[in-house]
Amino acid sequence: MSMECVVQGIIETQHVEALEILLQGLCGVQRERLRVHELCFKSGPNLGVVSSEVRLLCDLDQPEPTWTVKHVGGPMRGAGADQISVMVRTMIESKVSKNALRMFYALGYKLDHELLKVGFAFHFQRTAHISVSVSSVNKMPKVHAVDEAVPVTPGMQIVDVTAPATPENYSEVAAAVSSFCEFLAPLVHLSKPFISTGVVPTAAAAAASLMSDGGGTTL
Amino acid sequence: MPVKWLLHWQPNQGSTFSSQILNEVTQSIESLNGVKEGTWKATLNYYKPMLQDQANQAEFPREFVGISLLEEPDKYYFVIRSQRIVVEADSSIQMIMESLQSYKCKLSFYFEGLEYQLGDFRLRVGKVVPTHAETIRGVVMEVEYLPISSMGMAKKLMEEFLEIWQEAMSKRSLPGKFVNKELNFEKFGLGDNYTPQHTAVGYAFFMANLMAAIQAGRG
Repeated sequence: MSMECVVQGIIETQHVEALEILLQGLCGVQRERLRVHELCFKSGPNLGVVSSEVRLLCDLDQPEPTWTVKHVGGPMRGAGADQISVMVRTMIESKVSKNALRMFYALGYKLDHELLKVGFAFHFQRTAHISVSVSSVNKMPKVHAVDEAVPVTPGMQIVDVTAPATPENYSEVAAAVSSFCEFLAPLVHLSKPFISTGVVPTAAAAAASLMSDGGGTTL
Repeated sequence: MPVKWLLHWQPNQGSTFSSQILNEVTQSIESLNGVKEGTWKATLNYYKPMLQDQANQAEFPREFVGISLLEEPDKYYFVIRSQRIVVEADSSIQMIMESLQSYKCKLSFYFEGLEYQLGDFRLRVGKVVPTHAETIRGVVMEVEYLPISSMGMAKKLMEEFLEIWQEAMSKRSLPGKFVNKELNFEKFGLGDNYTPQHTAVGYAFFMANLMAAIQAGRG
């Protein structure tokens, strides 16, 4: 079974550059561009004993768009889960050929909503394989009209930190993600998704510090 | 990858399939000095939608198959013939389908048998068996022409091979013959260059023919 550890936060667009400098210093890898069209499908009313959701992700940053199907389960619950500051949930991914979109429509899945995420990401190893992405979330005025996408919340961007895990190692992975997030605390507060804590009040000062000396300051 | 033809066993009017045909086929290949190279296996799964109301069944594809091929152990293929859809995915897509619970695998078939090298041709002959039973429902033959991946370029050679093969088989007085059923791969968005997706489409049609023949035999 595959799982993932996830945290999320929001940051004002004006501080994204500072966050990028910080991440560059912390991760030690090149940043990658992110331009992903995310289509969220829900099973139609008659299909399945329970309703199901599946996401199709189209990476538009490649010369030829590449597709991935992703299924995300509900978060782990219970006393153990409450003590972990990151969300742990089942997650299964599969690369697919471009006909997957037609296939899910044909199988009776309906498009629930779609987004375009534009930004950048860092992928690196620190006990766990961690991915950090900073992106603006954009919505489309017409179905699949990626070129006409506009930001859902202009002035704000989303920070996602994820790491793949297994039932055997999710505690260590969660701890690695947690400790990494502490380094980002001056600029962005990261927590379990859907539990919003708003922007960091001191982000402006932290950002100014990072920008003025190119990231040499220890926060 | 090399061009491959899937040969269907076409029984004479009024005759039924017998597993003796399989023995005759392997003996024919060996009499042509085919060199046994090993065994092979493929699987085809029929998926049915899990519906809350059976009355709306017509909204969903009647035939939705998933296929795994020996030469692509990390991949899985879906075919919806009625909509001319073929999708290539990572094997993890099967776990996604299980998690969604919208479609369940209700019937599966194995294709398994022996593989031979005959000059520039690779031949596979196998029995078609439902996974839950021992009865052999049919025989399949794969003919691959190793030097060429363009279907157009390989056509004449494959036709010549089929003639030789049919002649060799006719000497055994069997109640039928192997035929090639030409498929319109273009309708599935597939090109002249042969790929595993072509094989997946081929097996979907092969099984449709076999099921129709079994039904006709019963009726």
